[in-house]
Amino acid sequence: MAANKQQGSYLTLFWTACTVLCAGLAYFAEGFGKLVLLLGLAGVAISLFGFLKIKPLEGKTAGAAGVAAMKLLGIVVAWGGWFVTIAGLHLTTNTSGRLIFALVGIAVSLVGVLGILPVAFGKSVAGKAQAPSFLAAKTTMEHSR
Amino acid sequence: MTKFRSTLLYFAFLLVSALMLGSAVHAQAPAPAAAPASAADAQLKDAAGKAPSQMDLQKGDPGGTITGTINDVPAADSKAGVTLPDVANQAGQNKIAINFVWTLITGFLVMFMQAGFAMVESGLCRAKNANHTYMMNFFVYTCGLFSYWIIGFALQMGAAAGNSNLGGLQSLASEHTISLFGKMWGLWGQSGMFLAGHTYDVGVMVIFLFEMVFMDTALTIVTGACAERWKFLAFTVSSIIMGALTYPLYGNWAWGGGWLAQLGTNVGLGKGYCDFAGSGVVHAVGGVTALALCMIVGPRIGKFNRDGSPNAILGHDVSAVLIGCFILAFGWFGFNPGSTLGASASGNLRIGTIAVDTMLAGCTGTMAAILYMWALKGKPDYSMSGNGLLAGLVAITAPSGFVNTTSACIIGAVAGVLVCLSCSFFENVLKIDDPVGAISVHGTNGLWGVLSVGLFADGTSNYGGSWNGVTGSVTGLFYGDASQLVAQLVGISTLIGVVFTISMVINLAIEFFVGHRVSAETELAGLDIPEMGQLGYPDFVFQPEPAVLMGQA
Repeated sequence: MAANKQQGSYLTLFWTACTVLCAGLAYFAEGFGKLVLLLGLAGVAISLFGFLKIKPLEGKTAGAAGVAAMKLLGIVVAWGGWFVTIAGLHLTTNTSGRLIFALVGIAVSLVGVLGILPVAFGKSVAGKAQAPSFLAAKTTMEHSR
Repeated sequence: MTKFRSTLLYFAFLLVSALMLGSAVHAQAPAPAAAPASAADAQLKDAAGKAPSQMDLQKGDPGGTITGTINDVPAADSKAGVTLPDVANQAGQNKIAINFVWTLITGFLVMFMQAGFAMVESGLCRAKNANHTYMMNFFVYTCGLFSYWIIGFALQMGAAAGNSNLGGLQSLASEHTISLFGKMWGLWGQSGMFLAGHTYDVGVMVIFLFEMVFMDTALTIVTGACAERWKFLAFTVSSIIMGALTYPLYGNWAWGGGWLAQLGTNVGLGKGYCDFAGSGVVHAVGGVTALALCMIVGPRIGKFNRDGSPNAILGHDVSAVLIGCFILAFGWFGFNPGSTLGASASGNLRIGTIAVDTMLAGCTGTMAAILYMWALKGKPDYSMSGNGLLAGLVAITAPSGFVNTTSACIIGAVAGVLVCLSCSFFENVLKIDDPVGAISVHGTNGLWGVLSVGLFADGTSNYGGSWNGVTGSVTGLFYGDASQLVAQLVGISTLIGVVFTISMVINLAIEFFVGHRVSAETELAGLDIPEMGQLGYPDFVFQPEPAVLMGQA
């Protein structure tokens, strides 16, 4: 269905609600700020569910669904690498030690970002598997015929 | 007799008064301030007397030798004329004015980079998606600017007080901090939402404009990586959130007095995390967000074959790409030299070195990319040439304020080769489809730029005698300070580990509610008509694409 009036309407609501929400945050200390914040949150929630409601009208896409558990694992490993780096700052005051911790932390994060997540999203790191988007597109096209 | 006595008393009174006055004057004589001030005031009056008269000025001043004199200095008291305090106040305002004008004009240059990005990204896409790609680059300015005004600026720069270049910015003085391991760490700023209240201030407006155009650069990086299959609605929502949250958070940690900047004062790592103009804050944040989105959105139909091998999907306009690259290179003279936030005082005359470093890194980046492609593939590929230029510029962005020209050349040359290798790695190994090479240009080389500060900073810069609150000049490993390299690595770890995952989680949520990708039918038809309602080139006759790019091979 592509771009349409409903999208435009819910986007207008989303943007307005975000602005109201921020106004609530800005004036949170004052009495009306909290009320404005709640109004903004409600508006954002309504717009998000509006987006969700019209999403199926778009039609099928060529993207692959991927594996949810692996996505979560990839995100956790990527974030975990940063914890290794930060832990190193407090476990040692030696510059070389901190350097090693930082490099290990970056390596762990890269395993999550470049090792796990591409596979989780349906791509092959080794380049041997079939390209999922292509297959999904083929499926969609055959379905539409 | 009585008259004689009265006269005698009168003279006696005068004598005593004169003696008292004399002793009082004598007592005041050593006071240091009075005499020089009056001498200076006398000199100022003398100068005012010698200044060209109205008659002289009416004759015109073709040589520019009599325009701009003491008569142009406003006097607080017009009867007293120009005094030393008047001159001192004017000198202070001139310094701030020079810095305001410098920061604003360089900000205007960075704003114009949006045009360069639009041309590069659209040129590298197919004609059937030109309108959509141009519109993303056009609309991202609005999305980002508005988000930044309502909250993003406050999160990033809400505690940026203390910048003497712009008059102190004292109204930006509220940072949310946490106490950890006995130290206070800044997480986000809290003043400046809607630029209201005390932040309705001339200096705050200048820093807002400058920081806003930087933020918008980061946002527009993502549009290129996801071009030709990104739903316009999802792009809008994603850009609004990135401008409001993701970018400002990292911006605060690095530039707003946050915890990365405090690594020097809190744990003794060099001068804290140093990113002069934004290889990390702007480019790597844009690059890692682009990577997260490319994974979620997936490759374009026809990009990869059944065996996983990639197909080249050619752009439609070489001239747009290369002219766009030149516009970006021009805008970079705002990006890097402008990041001094002033041209007067506090070591800001280094802007000349920064500008030359910027030119040279772009030069060697282009050179390295062209020679690499020519030697290995047989042709000096135009898209990689452009990306080589941009890679060199991205890489020099963080170190430009701290390195010499030789180091700038090395940093640029490494970036030129790195961008070619990185593009190949993401496409051939990870099977990630990035139509314009944004992940490699901005992500990979943004990280390289951050790292290079820790290697090449030569310790000669002096921006007011300290950086991030640590006295001394930023010095890298090759010039004797290994701890600066560690600070840079912590920044890199944060970009990969935190910024990437925040972007991933936010965009997975958008994927759930909105859906990032257009339908397969829309993608095959081209996004211009279904998403934008009009072709970018309505008079063109489109040739059928090869079957392999239509998913029919």
